[in-house]
Amino acid sequence: MEKKTIFVTCGATIPFSKLVSCVLSDGFTRELVEYGFVRLIIQFGRNFATRFDQLVQERGGKVERTDIRIPDDEFGCDGNVSRYSLMDGTLEVIGFDFSAKVQKIISDFSDLVISHAGTGSILDSLRLNKPLIICVNDSLMDNHQQQIADKFVALGYVWSCVPTEISLTASLRASQTEKLKPFPVSHNSGFERLLNDVVYS
Amino acid sequence: MSEVESAYNMNTAYLASLVLIVSAIYVVRLVTILPFFHTQSRVRKETRDEASVLRTQKLSKKPLKIFVFLGSGGHTGEMLRLLQNYKDLLLDQSIIYVGYSDQASRQKFCSLAQNFPRCQVKYYEFMKAREVKATLLQSVKTIIGTLVQSLVHVIRIRLSMCGSPHLFLLNGPGTCCIITFWLKTIELVLLFLDSSHIVYVESLARINTPSLTGKILYWVVDEFVVQWRELRDNCLPRSKWFGILV
Repeated sequence: MEKKTIFVTCGATIPFSKLVSCVLSDGFTRELVEYGFVRLIIQFGRNFATRFDQLVQERGGKVERTDIRIPDDEFGCDGNVSRYSLMDGTLEVIGFDFSAKVQKIISDFSDLVISHAGTGSILDSLRLNKPLIICVNDSLMDNHQQQIADKFVALGYVWSCVPTEISLTASLRASQTEKLKPFPVSHNSGFERLLNDVVYS
Repeated sequence: MSEVESAYNMNTAYLASLVLIVSAIYVVRLVTILPFFHTQSRVRKETRDEASVLRTQKLSKKPLKIFVFLGSGGHTGEMLRLLQNYKDLLLDQSIIYVGYSDQASRQKFCSLAQNFPRCQVKYYEFMKAREVKATLLQSVKTIIGTLVQSLVHVIRIRLSMCGSPHLFLLNGPGTCCIITFWLKTIELVLLFLDSSHIVYVESLARINTPSLTGKILYWVVDEFVVQWRELRDNCLPRSKWFGILV
């Protein structure tokens, strides 16, 4: 079976603790391994490193020092890269606070992306044509994230879920059985003509 | 009536008519710099074919000068994507004036600009209009400081754009309101200045309602572009919709 990698991004500034604990949950990780995932990369956001280590260790993660396939500098982050092995060594877990090379991680290593509902993160995956699950942070006061998630789901570009183990696992299942609609290219000749007309008027 | 008195009356009459003429000029000027009177010319332009786009680009030998403002996080991301998507028009041999209010945005622009060595970049730091946890006096001070500083930047940038093809490309950050306000004030005062060419692109996150910045700038900018059809149809009939641009 092919060895797949899943990338989870929580956004850089606001911690999304529920998403991190859901992707580390027993049910979800077991399903991941069943679908052939061997690596879980998590960008957990600033000021969350201690909590992250704590969460993985609670799930029985063992600190991994050997068998490093992707060196730390590939992740483009200033902070520490935490490495663990979970599920008796069948799932490699890599976590860091913030990466300046998110697009490279998505394009080079990831087979599936789970992202918070920020437009930047959504576009990162869709522009690189990677299957994407959006997880809406229901504790934020900002309902634009819900709106944008609903809109993208209605258009068939992504799957979406809420940060619970059941919902996340259901989306993972959908991502392994269904196909998404292709995201249209961003270049638009109408808009280019408008810019041109304004500039040279 | 004495001679002195009639001369005095004449002077007042001259003065009054002068004031009247000047104010009439400024009213006319105000009308011409605001966008809702441009609809006629716009309809004509839309009939032009695509070949003419390339022709006008080639005819102009002067480099294109563009101002963009980078606010923070999401807005910066969308702006950089826009520039990247329309790089042939915007980033080839052009001079870019980058307004920014946080270092992270500046760094992101730097790394984008590295891919376009023929493009010249100038940076202008704008202070943030609002600081969290400031007292009333402090806020008043920072607001006045921001206004003055941005006026200085905007005057410099605007005057250096005279005579070249130019564009002010803006999106969501609140500072864009201040920048636009100064641009329009400069246009009003300097009677023979050409239009500033302001294009506003509303955030992708705005599906049903415009942002506060969008609501304000809708009435002032030359072109208002939204990324969702619902937004144009339900709230902003004068805006243009082309689909997702970022």
